[in-house]
Amino acid sequence: MAEFKDVPPNAPAAEKALNWIDNRFPLSKLFKEHMSEYYAPKNFNFLYFFGVLSMVVLVIQILTGIFLVMHYKPDADEAFASVEYIMRDVPWGWQIRYMHSTGASAFFVVVYLHMFRGLIYGSYRKPRELVWLFGCAIFLALMGEAFMGYLLPWGQMSYWGAQVIVNLFSAIPLIGPDLALLIRGDYVVGDATLNRFFSFHVIAVPLVLLGLVVAHIIALHEVGSNNPDGVEIKAKKDANGKPLDGIPFHPYYSVHDLMGIIGFLLVFCAIIFFAPEFGGYFLEYNNFIPADPLKTPLHIAPVWYFTPYYSMLRAITSEMMYGLIICVLAAAYLGATRAKISSMLKGVVIGAAVVLVALMLAIDAKFWGVVVMGGAVVILFFLPWLDNCAVKSIRYRPDWHVYLYALFVLNFFVLGYLGIQPPSAIGERVSQIGTLFYFGFFLLMPWWSRMGETKPVPDRVNFAAH
Amino acid sequence: MSDTTVDNDKRTWLIASGCAGAVGGAAVAVPFISAFSPSERAKAAGAAVEVDISAIKPGEKLTVEWRGKPVWIIRRTPEQLEALKKVESQLADPESKRNPAELTPEYARNQARSIKPEFFIGVGICSHLGCSPSDKFQMGPQPSLPDDWQGGFFCPCHGSTFDMAGRVYKNKPAPDNLEVPPHMYLSDTRLLIGEDKKA
Amino acid sequence: MKKFILSVILALTSALTAMPALAAGGGIPLDKAPNRLNDLGALQNGAKLFVNYCLNCHAASYMRFNRLTDIGLTEQQIKDNLLFTTDKVGETMKVAMDPKQAKDWFGGNPPDLTVIARSRSGAGGTGADYLYTYLRTYYRDDSKATGWNNLAFPNVGMPHVLWELQGQRKPVFEEIQAHGHATQVLKGWEQVTPGTLSPLEYDSAVADLVNYMQWMSDPTQATRVRVGVWVMLYLLVFFVIAWRLNAAYWKDIR
Repeated sequence: MAEFKDVPPNAPAAEKALNWIDNRFPLSKLFKEHMSEYYAPKNFNFLYFFGVLSMVVLVIQILTGIFLVMHYKPDADEAFASVEYIMRDVPWGWQIRYMHSTGASAFFVVVYLHMFRGLIYGSYRKPRELVWLFGCAIFLALMGEAFMGYLLPWGQMSYWGAQVIVNLFSAIPLIGPDLALLIRGDYVVGDATLNRFFSFHVIAVPLVLLGLVVAHIIALHEVGSNNPDGVEIKAKKDANGKPLDGIPFHPYYSVHDLMGIIGFLLVFCAIIFFAPEFGGYFLEYNNFIPADPLKTPLHIAPVWYFTPYYSMLRAITSEMMYGLIICVLAAAYLGATRAKISSMLKGVVIGAAVVLVALMLAIDAKFWGVVVMGGAVVILFFLPWLDNCAVKSIRYRPDWHVYLYALFVLNFFVLGYLGIQPPSAIGERVSQIGTLFYFGFFLLMPWWSRMGETKPVPDRVNFAAH
Repeated sequence: MSDTTVDNDKRTWLIASGCAGAVGGAAVAVPFISAFSPSERAKAAGAAVEVDISAIKPGEKLTVEWRGKPVWIIRRTPEQLEALKKVESQLADPESKRNPAELTPEYARNQARSIKPEFFIGVGICSHLGCSPSDKFQMGPQPSLPDDWQGGFFCPCHGSTFDMAGRVYKNKPAPDNLEVPPHMYLSDTRLLIGEDKKA
Repeated sequence: MKKFILSVILALTSALTAMPALAAGGGIPLDKAPNRLNDLGALQNGAKLFVNYCLNCHAASYMRFNRLTDIGLTEQQIKDNLLFTTDKVGETMKVAMDPKQAKDWFGGNPPDLTVIARSRSGAGGTGADYLYTYLRTYYRDDSKATGWNNLAFPNVGMPHVLWELQGQRKPVFEEIQAHGHATQVLKGWEQVTPGTLSPLEYDSAVADLVNYMQWMSDPTQATRVRVGVWVMLYLLVFFVIAWRLNAAYWKDIR
C-alpha cells in the first residue's frame, strides 16, 4: 500500500487536487506505467497504427450506437421505418447512421490489418501468446457483434442473411435444430430474434468486447510490444534500466497516433460524406427493401467482411468431403509412420482418424462446411504453437516464406471475392483450392516454418531518424 | 539547436493541435446534441391546429388537442365579460403579471386575456398539478363554490378555481393563471392554435 | 517487406477489378437516366408527377410533404397543389388503399416507394437508371391480367400508369446469332397508338419523375456532400498540424 503523501500548503491547486486523487486512486501511477514510462520500440511502422485505430473505431461505434438507440425501434413492424426516421426526421440522424454503418466496415478493415501486422512480425510468439489469444477472442466477439447488428435494420439482406446463418446451426447433428430454435426464439427469424439480437448487440457483446480489449492491452503492457524486426528491446537496457531501443509511449506515440488517427479520419469521413454506400458494399442495396419472409432475394451474400469465411463454407460440398477424407487419412498415415511418439499415441491417432472419417462419411457436408468455417477462425488461436520458425519477423525469414505469406493474403482476398459472387462451377473449384491452402498454411506450419535459411537477426532495431 | 527552439516548436504545434482539436470537438458535438432536439415527426405532431369557430354559440366551449394538451375555445357572453371586472379583488394575479413569458402572450395581456374579448383561448390544464378543470359557467351558489360565483372553472383534484378568463382565485392550491397558448386568427371564422404572428 | 507488398499488389491488380455489388437482377440492359438532381424545376415536376400518378396505389410513408421545401417549394405551394391524401403539410405520404384489397386487385401490395431508388441500384446502373428504363419499356400484353407487361421487370403486377402520356407501344425484336445459337435482341419500338406527349417529352417527364424518386430516396445527399467538403478541408488542415507536431517530437529520437 502506498504511503499517504502530503504536499506543502502553498502548492498550486492543481497539484493539491492531483495529490488528493493519488492518495486514493493510482492515477499518476497508472499514467506513468502505461503512458509516460511505458517503453515501446522506436521502430514502429505504418502497420502499428491499427491497434489504436481499432480502439478509436470501437469508441465511434459505441458513441454513435448510443444515439441510434435513442430513436431505433427493435420491433419487426417498426424497425425498418425507425431507421428511415433516423435518416430523415432526426436532426443530423443521417450522419450518425452513416458513421455507424461505415464504422462497422471500418472496424473490420482496421482489425484485419492489425491482425496482419501480428501475423507477419510474429507478435503472437512467446511471451505474447495471451495477447494474441485475447485478440482472437475479440475477433470472434466482433464477428458476432457485426452479425447481430446487421439484423437490426430489418431489410431483406438483414433478414435472409440471419435466416441462412442461423439455419447453419441446425446442421449440427443431434442438437442442431433445437439449438437453432433457441437462438431464433421462434420457428423462423422474427420479432423474437430481433429483440434478443438487439439486446446482445447493444449491451452483452459490447461489454464483453470492452472487457477483452482491456485484458488485451494489459497483457500487452505486461510483456511489452513487439516490433517489425522482431527484436526484444528489453534485452538491451541502459544504465537506468530503460530499453536502449525503447521510447516512452507518451509523448512520442501519443503524438504519432494522433497523426495516424487524423489520417484515418480523412479516409473515414471521405467515405461517410461522399460514398456511404461504398458501391453497395457498406450499405447493401437490397437492404433498402423491408424484410419479407415470403420472398427471398435472388442473391444473398453476407457483408464483405464475412465473405472469405462464407466462401470456405460453400466450398465444402459432398465432393469436397472426399478430398478432405484423403487429407485426414494422409495426416494419420504420416503421424503413424513418421512421428516420434509412443506406439500407444500412434494407436490413438489412427483410431481418431478412423472415427473422424466415419463421421465425415455419415454426416452431411453442410455440417462440415460449418465446421470448416468456424475452424478457419478457431485455428488462429493455435498460431503461437504452430510457428516453429527460428526468427519472429518476416524481415528475417527466407524469401520463399515471404512469397508464401503474400500468397496467403492473396488467397484470402480471392476467397473474399468469390464469397460475393453467386456460386459457379469454377468459383467452387477455386474456393476449394483456396480453403485447402488456407488450412494447409496453418496446419503444415509446424513443418514449413522450420524449413529454409533464415537471415541473421540484428540485436538492435533498424531505425532511421526522421 | 538549443533547447528553447525545440520547446518552442513543440509548443507551437501543441497549441495548434489543441485549437484544432477543440474546434473539431465542438463541430462533432453539434450533430449529436442536435439529435436530442425534437425530430420532424415530433414537430409535425406538435404542429399548429386550425379550428373553425363559426359554429360555437355564445356561452359554449369547444375543446381541441394541441401538442397532446386540451385547448379550450370559449365564446363568452356579455354577462361573463362583465363578471370579469367584478371578481378582480378575489384573484391572485388579476393582471397576469406572474410568468408572462410562459403563460400570457403579449396580445393576451389584457383583462379578458384574449385577442378578441368574445373568445377566450386557454390550455385546460390546472397550474397546480395538471388535472383538467371542469366547466362551472352557471353563476350563483353551487356546491364547493362561493355564493357569489360569477362563472368559471373548478378543478376537481384539489379545489382550485379559475374565472372566465382562466385567472386563478386567491388562496387556492394552484399558483398561476391558465396558460394562453400562442394563437392567431386567420379570418373571422378560422383560428390557428400553436402559432402567432411574431413566430 | 517491399518484396511482400509488391507481390501482393501485382497479384491483386491483375485479379481484382472494381466491381460494384450485385442487387436484384433480371430484365434487360438499363438505359442511363439523365441526371437532374441539381435541377430544382425538374425535381418539382417529378414531385408533381409522383403525387398525381403514384400515390394512388403506392405509399412513400417515410417522406414528409414539408420536406419538399428542400427542392424549392413553399409550404403554401405544397398545400395548394400536392396535398391530396392529407391536410397537414407535416404528414407523410401515406396511401389510402387497403393492403388486402391491393393484394386482391394486383396480386401483391404495391411496395412503398420512399427508398425504391436506393434499393434498385446495382452493377447495371443507378436506381434512377432502373426506374427510367422500367417506366419506358411497358408494352401491351393481353395474356396478362392488367393487359400490360414490361421488359425491365417481366410479368410485373403493376399496370402502365403513365400509358395516357406515352401511348401504347410494341417492342420490335430481331433474331441474331450469338454464342452459337439464335437470340432475340431488342431493335426498337413501334408506336401503336399515340400518347398525349411526344416520345421526347415523355422521356423528359419520366426523367423528372425518376430524378425526384432518386432525390426522395436520399434527400440529405446535397447537404451531406456540402458538409463533407468542409469536413475534409478541416481534416486536411488538422492533419498537417498533427504531422508537424509529430515531427517536432520525433526530431529527438535517434
